[in-house]
Amino acid sequence: MDIVLQQLVNGLTLGSVYGLIAIGYTMVYGIIGMINFAHGDVYMVSSYITAIAIALISALLTFLGFESFLVVIIGTLFLTIVVTGAYGWVIERVAYRPLRNSSRLAVLISAIGMSLILQNYVQLSQGANQQGVPTMLTGALRFHVGDGFVQITYMKVFILIAAFAGMGILTYVIQKTKLGRMCRATQQDRKMASILGIDTDKIISTVFVIGATMAALAGVLITLDYGAFDFYIGFIIGIKAFTAAVLGGIGSLPGAMLGGLILGLSEALFAGLISSDYKDVFSFSLLVLILIIRPSGLLGKPEVEKV
Amino acid sequence: MSNAVVRKTLISLAVAGAATLAQADVVIGVAGPHTGAYAAFGEQLWKGAEKAAQDINAAGGINGEMITLVKADDACEPKQAVSVANRLVDSDGALAVVGHFCSSSSIPASKIYEEAGVIMVTPASTNPTLTDQGLPNVFRVCGRDDQQGDVAASYIVDKLGAKRVAVIHDKDTYGKGLADAMKSTLNAYGVNEVMYEGLTRGEKDFNALITKIRSVDADVVYFGGLHSEAGPLVRQLREQGSKAIFISGDGIVSDEFVSVAGSPEYVDGVLMTFGAPPTSYPSGAKVIKEFRDAGYEPEGYTLYSYTAMQVAVAALANNNLDPIKGAEWLKTHSVDTVMGKKDFDEKGDLTVSDYVMYEWDAQGKYSVVE
Amino acid sequence: MSQSVGINFKKSSIDALIAGFMALILFGPIVGVVLDGYSFNAEFDKVAWMVLVVIIGRFAMSSFFQTEKGIAMAFRYANSNDGATVLPPGHKSKMVWIIPLVIAIGLLVPFIASKYVLTVVILGLIYVLLGLGLNIVVGLAGLLDLGFVGFYAIGAYGLALGYENLGLGFWSMLPIAALMAAIAGAILGFPVLRMHGDYLAIVTLGFGEIIRLVLTNWASFTHGPNGVSAPMPTFFGLEFTRRSRDGSTFHEFFNIPYDSAYRYMFIYIVLFAVVWAVLFIKHRLVKMPIGRAWEALREDEIACRSLGLNHVLVKLSAFMLGASTGGLAGVFFATYQGFVNPSSFTFFESALILAIVVLGGMGSTLGVVIAAFCLTVLPEMLREFAEYRVLMFGILMVVMMIWKPRGIVRVTRTGFAARKGVVK
Repeated sequence: MDIVLQQLVNGLTLGSVYGLIAIGYTMVYGIIGMINFAHGDVYMVSSYITAIAIALISALLTFLGFESFLVVIIGTLFLTIVVTGAYGWVIERVAYRPLRNSSRLAVLISAIGMSLILQNYVQLSQGANQQGVPTMLTGALRFHVGDGFVQITYMKVFILIAAFAGMGILTYVIQKTKLGRMCRATQQDRKMASILGIDTDKIISTVFVIGATMAALAGVLITLDYGAFDFYIGFIIGIKAFTAAVLGGIGSLPGAMLGGLILGLSEALFAGLISSDYKDVFSFSLLVLILIIRPSGLLGKPEVEKV
Repeated sequence: MSNAVVRKTLISLAVAGAATLAQADVVIGVAGPHTGAYAAFGEQLWKGAEKAAQDINAAGGINGEMITLVKADDACEPKQAVSVANRLVDSDGALAVVGHFCSSSSIPASKIYEEAGVIMVTPASTNPTLTDQGLPNVFRVCGRDDQQGDVAASYIVDKLGAKRVAVIHDKDTYGKGLADAMKSTLNAYGVNEVMYEGLTRGEKDFNALITKIRSVDADVVYFGGLHSEAGPLVRQLREQGSKAIFISGDGIVSDEFVSVAGSPEYVDGVLMTFGAPPTSYPSGAKVIKEFRDAGYEPEGYTLYSYTAMQVAVAALANNNLDPIKGAEWLKTHSVDTVMGKKDFDEKGDLTVSDYVMYEWDAQGKYSVVE
Repeated sequence: MSQSVGINFKKSSIDALIAGFMALILFGPIVGVVLDGYSFNAEFDKVAWMVLVVIIGRFAMSSFFQTEKGIAMAFRYANSNDGATVLPPGHKSKMVWIIPLVIAIGLLVPFIASKYVLTVVILGLIYVLLGLGLNIVVGLAGLLDLGFVGFYAIGAYGLALGYENLGLGFWSMLPIAALMAAIAGAILGFPVLRMHGDYLAIVTLGFGEIIRLVLTNWASFTHGPNGVSAPMPTFFGLEFTRRSRDGSTFHEFFNIPYDSAYRYMFIYIVLFAVVWAVLFIKHRLVKMPIGRAWEALREDEIACRSLGLNHVLVKLSAFMLGASTGGLAGVFFATYQGFVNPSSFTFFESALILAIVVLGGMGSTLGVVIAAFCLTVLPEMLREFAEYRVLMFGILMVVMMIWKPRGIVRVTRTGFAARKGVVK
């Protein structure tokens, strides 16, 4: 019993992280209909910036002669989000905007090229070795269940709170603010939106920055929790997050979070209760199955076939 | 239009062919992952081989001929390994090759070296299949995974007296080979593992797997794989409150293991098998000092690479630069290297296995377990 | 465009400063602060150089796009037109001369090229096959397939495992692998073909990953990550080895000294013939009703269905044909390498094949051939740049797409004139 509960907790935290990264895929897809393959690598860049920010701020604090976990974490979040957002903006400007009127496949190839560029740029400047950040928050909440226990580390609690807070803020921005309305208008009909006086290029840039920001949030959280990363981590988590986005219905914000949670839970439960060898086979099979039953994902709107 | 393109392609091919002409001295290839995820190991191979070549050249070269090294990058991909191997034997005219690093690259490349009659000495590929293929030209100056697995298994049974062993591997040639070798020796001792599973390389979240380890109540976790996964694994194991002893192989021999694990306290007590410390050979003291004076810490496979170079050079030097004769010669003669006297058996493996158990401490350093 | 053309240096300077500021944010942390354990080394001089280069580059670019030439260039990029180039009716293709010439030169290659060049060319031809296969699926039928590597793996493992378990050699596996891949294509295609564009993409991506994961995990059959060795092709039963285990070897039979290059020469010649056969079949298919149906379905599915086209069968045929070509390429890859393991069949490989199709120009055969050679020969030529190799490869991919988003070679069609007397 305690084991099943523990696996649920494991799956929930993993899934919330997938969900955060999936938002980047789903928003970009919704607005310009492209799969941004470089998004996983934007997350990777944010991991590096997290470690760099921690190193810089810690050095500064030691120089000033005091120590504070809160200052380090807020400073790191701020720095990482700003710099990663800048990466999102520049990537869109350099690699995707010139291709605005080309076929979607051309943009896809450009995205794959961008992903290679980011990986190798980071490898060349930071070295190919494994990197880590020091452990900052230890300890865990433990609940006794029967003769076993279920535990959730403070770091995981922090991840869950931050992930859902990030999601909440984003949902508010998209649903209630003027910017959100402009985003949704552009998503529905780009040409019409521009006729109504929305600078769609600017909105698309904004969406890329928002996507990168969410990836940055995920980057800070995961890097603090697992402590380990290298220039290649973006690939696997990118594919997983993309799967999550499609599972939930690509283009739908709550769908991305739901897809992430389902993917995380199914992975943890399958790995924990059956076999971790075939857990990825299981998640991909689940995806295929869901898409066969619901061809637009769980929360996606079915595509209207226009004549 | 199409005519021009065809012409351009042909010209570029001709240019590639012309590169064949430049040749001088004795060419030795250093093949390994100089780019990609394992570039850090590729650097160790290169530093060791480069230093060895410098030292040998300074001492008069091979029978008066100077050594020229060629860096060959395979990025640990079999496809690229075949390509660079052909390039080394063909365009560069290498007589011997130090490398490759990954077993999955060494195995396909070894066939090309055999066809071309080139000596291959690998400093790091420990998978048994490499020498079990029966190729006459393949040698290794490191141990075999089955030898390493033996040492770990007997330690687990004899010294630790553990009964509940969980075996984890990273589903790769090296990691799985090591885990399988350990498992079969363990079973021969009459201990059956309580769990045998693989994790996916490149992932960092192993909580589901660890909860499972907790549920089978393992005393010992044996991991076949590299430090990139071992770090998060051992950290998450401790975070979930497991006190199981963590044992791994030579894939975690790197200072990065500590930084990846998040803090030295997590690696405290981790055991690993690795060749007897290079520093334990008096013959290596001078080289190690020179490395350190140059500001480079010869960790991991650096000295193995140096040794591999010495072995290849000895074979060539004693046989008038004939690699085929040199390969035969190595099987009956021993070579003095920075890591002691090395003898090879009929397959090209070392006759003496020198694996010992090391333990990591709370300062993030490792030392031999007495 | 009535305004006078003159370079507004103030605008250029502002552009350059903004670019410099962005470069500082981007390069500052990643390049300037190199992590070393938990501490770091500062390398700000490198950042300064990079920012300087960006500022100068942006200034030059901004100024250039204000000149007459620059405006014309920007205008041309903003208006790339669709469709195929239509040649005048009765156009006589120069290909009649070029094809025999290319065949003749191609047949000479193994005798003049060194072994290394030969292996690179073989790899190039394998990618030509893969590109041609995917071109049917993506270029002609318009089905985005991100898991093409799965069929490639089926072919390669088919040869290796077929030899190990059933004793089947290269020649018998060549058709069997094509058939196996086609069947796999049908099994995958049947349920998923009713999905649209990008959903199809992710399902095929999942399929490719599943194949690779099964190959990795099913160790008792596939030997997992250790891989399986694959047999070499034989020349009427003669082996291309130094010493033969059974039967005689090629060099003994013809009484010539042993040379390992003979094996590659032979693979090359067989592969060359297969590539031409596939090229020919594809060339004919495009002109046949089925080929027209693929393209029609790509352009407008609803119209096709209302005209009574069985869209599932048409899509399935494209999928199966593409898959079987991938399977063929897999057999050649396995025999060329003499060894297969799952690490050769990652998603990156699928992306590379897709890049060949898109770079070449969707649906264009010549383009695919050129792009396949570019993408395989280029990384080998870039070896001189050592660690900058893959970075440059990525940059070239992006630049190529911006420069020629429709690919290197555009699809051309011979126009036709209405026959007299048909239309009244």
